[in-house]
Amino acid sequence: MKKILSVIKREYIQTVRTKGFIIGTILGPVLMVAIIGVPVLVSLISVGDQQKIGVVDLTQEIFVELDKKLDHRLNDGRRRYILEKIKLSSDIQEEELEELRNSLRNEVLNHNLSAYLFIPGNILEGESAEYVSEHTTDFDELRRIDEALNSVVIEIRLKGEGLDPQKIAKYIKRVGLKPIKLTKRGEEEDTGGTFMYSYIFALILYMALILYGAATMRGVLEEKTSRVVEVILSSLKPFQLMAGKILGIGAVGLTQFSIWGFFGIFAFRYGKSLIPPGAEFNIPRIPGYIFIYFIVFFLLGYFLYSTFFAAIGSMVNSEREAQQLQTPVIMFLVLPMLLMIFIIRSPNSTLAVVLSLIPLFTPILMFLRVCVLLPPFVQVGASIVILALTVLLMMWLTSKIYRVGILMYGKRPNIKEIVKWIRYK
Amino acid sequence: MNALEIENISKRFGDFYAVKKLSFKIPQGTIYGFLGPNGAGKTTTIRMMMNIIIPDEGSIKILDRKMDEKMKERIGYLPEDRGLYPKMKVGELLLFLAEIKGLRGSKAREEIDFWLERFDLSDWRKKKVEELSRGMQQKLQFIVTVIHQPELFILDEPFAGLDPVNTKLLKDIMLEMKEKGRTIIFSTHRMEQIEMICDNICLINKAEGVLEGNLSQIKKQYGKNTVVLDYDGDASFVQSFPEVEKIDDYGKFMEIKLKEQSNPQDLLLKLVGKININKFEVKEPSLNAIFIDKVGVKDEKDTVSH
Repeated sequence: MKKILSVIKREYIQTVRTKGFIIGTILGPVLMVAIIGVPVLVSLISVGDQQKIGVVDLTQEIFVELDKKLDHRLNDGRRRYILEKIKLSSDIQEEELEELRNSLRNEVLNHNLSAYLFIPGNILEGESAEYVSEHTTDFDELRRIDEALNSVVIEIRLKGEGLDPQKIAKYIKRVGLKPIKLTKRGEEEDTGGTFMYSYIFALILYMALILYGAATMRGVLEEKTSRVVEVILSSLKPFQLMAGKILGIGAVGLTQFSIWGFFGIFAFRYGKSLIPPGAEFNIPRIPGYIFIYFIVFFLLGYFLYSTFFAAIGSMVNSEREAQQLQTPVIMFLVLPMLLMIFIIRSPNSTLAVVLSLIPLFTPILMFLRVCVLLPPFVQVGASIVILALTVLLMMWLTSKIYRVGILMYGKRPNIKEIVKWIRYK
Repeated sequence: MNALEIENISKRFGDFYAVKKLSFKIPQGTIYGFLGPNGAGKTTTIRMMMNIIIPDEGSIKILDRKMDEKMKERIGYLPEDRGLYPKMKVGELLLFLAEIKGLRGSKAREEIDFWLERFDLSDWRKKKVEELSRGMQQKLQFIVTVIHQPELFILDEPFAGLDPVNTKLLKDIMLEMKEKGRTIIFSTHRMEQIEMICDNICLINKAEGVLEGNLSQIKKQYGKNTVVLDYDGDASFVQSFPEVEKIDDYGKFMEIKLKEQSNPQDLLLKLVGKININKFEVKEPSLNAIFIDKVGVKDEKDTVSH
C-alpha cells in the first residue's frame, strides 16, 4: 500500500507541475467564460452596418408602411435598414420585370445593395415575398423583416375588412409562459438556466474524461518508451503501478476541479458587480447535490475509461499508434454527447433510462439526467452500482493486458494475441 | 546457504518455450555468470527471478525464501532495457525509486547523498535526468540498483553500452559488493568479463540449460587440449593436420582444439619453419571456445551424424 502511495505521490507532483496542467487550469475557466460571454459581449459592443435593401413592391401600398415598421436602430442610434423603393411603372410587363430583377441581382452581387425584397402583387392573398441576398443565415435579420412585413400585410388586410388594426392587436396580444422549475426546495423561475448548466457540466465532464484518460495513456507510454518501467517493476507489481498512476492522475483532476470550484464561488460572490447593468444575465441557482454527483460520475467514469487508456498505452510503441487505438474508446464518449440534446429534452423517456444504465454511457448520460430532472433514486443507485462493478471487472481485465503489454516491444498485438495475454499466468 | 535456487522452471508463451526445465543454484557471496546467445531465454529467466513474470512450473527460492513481492526490496535489479524518468529531477527520482524499495525518510536521503557524492553527481541533484550526459545517466542507473543495499544483485547485460570508465566503475562496485558478502548474478555475451570475475556460470541455449557449475572445474573437464598460437604468416594449412579437431583463426592469433590423445608437441614441430611463432601456449579452452562449442557446433554435429 505504501508503494502505491509513493507512485500516486510521484504521479501527482510531476503532473501538477507540468505546463499543461497550469495552462489548462487557467485557460479552462477563461475558455468557458469566453464561450458564454463573447457572443453576448459581441452583440453588445458591435455597432453593425447599415444595410441598404431595395424593395420591389408590386402592390404599391406596402412600401411606406414597411419603411415605418422596419425602424430598427444600430447601437449608435442610426437606422439599421435603409429601404430603397425601386421605381416601377404601374403596368409593368413580365419581360421588363425580369430585366429589373436581373439588374437588382447585379446590384446585390456588386454590394450596392445588401439585399432586395420582392413583394408580389397578390401578397395579400397569401403569396410569399422573396428576400434575395448573398447572406441568408442571419436569422435575427430574417425574423425582423419577416415580422415587419407580416404585420404590415395583416394591417392592410384588416383595414380592407374595415377593422381597426390597433384594436385587433390588443385582442390578439400574446401572453408569456414562464417556466417555473419545481424542486423539493420550492419553485424557481427557469429562463434556460438548467439547460445551460446541464450542458456546461456535461461538457466539462466529457472533456475531463478524455483529457485525463489520455494523460494516463501518455504516462504509461512514456514509462514504456523511456524503458523505466522494468526498473519500477523490480520494486512493485504491475497492478500497483497502474493503479497508482490512475489514482494519481485522478487526484490531479480533482485538484483542478477544486481550483475551478473555489474561483467559481469567488466569482459568484464578488463578480456580480462586474456584469454590465444592461445585460440580462441570470445566474441560475445550481443545487449542491449536482456537484457531488459530478465528482462521483467523474471518478467512476475516469476509472472506467482510464483503464482502457492505460491498456492502450501499454500495447503500443508510439503516440501515433496510441492515437489510432484510442479512437474507438473516444467514440464511446462522443456518442453520449450526440445524445445530449435528446436527454435534456426527455430525460425520463425509456430510451434515456436504458442508455443511462449502460456503464460506458452512464457517467455522462446519468449525470445529465441528474442535472435536468433528478431521476428516481433506484435508477441513479443502480447505474452507480453497475458502473462500479464494470470498473472492477475492467481493472482486472486491463491489468492483465497491461502487465504483459508494458514489457512487449515491437509489433502491435492483434485481438488474438491480446486474448492470449489475458490468459497468461 | 544459497542466495538463489532455481528448480525446474519453465515458461511458455503460447507454444513457444522461452525457458524449459532450467535449474541452478548460486552460493551466497559469489559472482555468477549467466550466459547464452541472443534469444536463449536469459531475460525471461531473470524476469522470473524478479517476480515480474511468473513461471508456469518450477520454483524459485531467493535468500532461502520463496520469491514474493516483499523479497524485491532485498534485490538490486539492473534490467537490460534501462531507463529513467527523463523529466524528473535527479534527487526526486532517486527518492522515489528508493521509496518503492522500502527505503524512506532520512535513511533514504542519507544513501542518496552518499552515492551522489561517490559518483560525483552531487551538483546534478536538482537537474532533470534528460539534461545529464549518457555516461552520467549510466552512473545514475547504478545508484538506483545499489541504493537500498540489496543482498542480491541481478544484472541483465550490465556492461552493454557502457563507456570504458563506467565499465571499470561497475566492475569495481561488483567486486566491492562481493567483498561485503553480497551475491551477484549477471548475464552477458562478453566471455572475457565472465572469465575475469565469475566464480560459477550457467550457460543456456534454446531455453534449456546446457552447462552449469564452477568455472574452473568446467574448464578442467574440457582438459588441456587447446593451443593458443600467436603468429605471423599464412597458417591456413593447420586445418588439414590430423590431430586438429577445430580451429578458430583470427589472422594473427589462433585457438586450436586438438583431438583427444594427440600431443601438442607434435603440432609445434610441424609448425616450426613454416610460420613465425611469437607464442605457443597449451591451456584449457577459453570460455568463448566452450560457448561456441556448446551452442554453435553441437547442432552441426547432430546434423552430420544423422
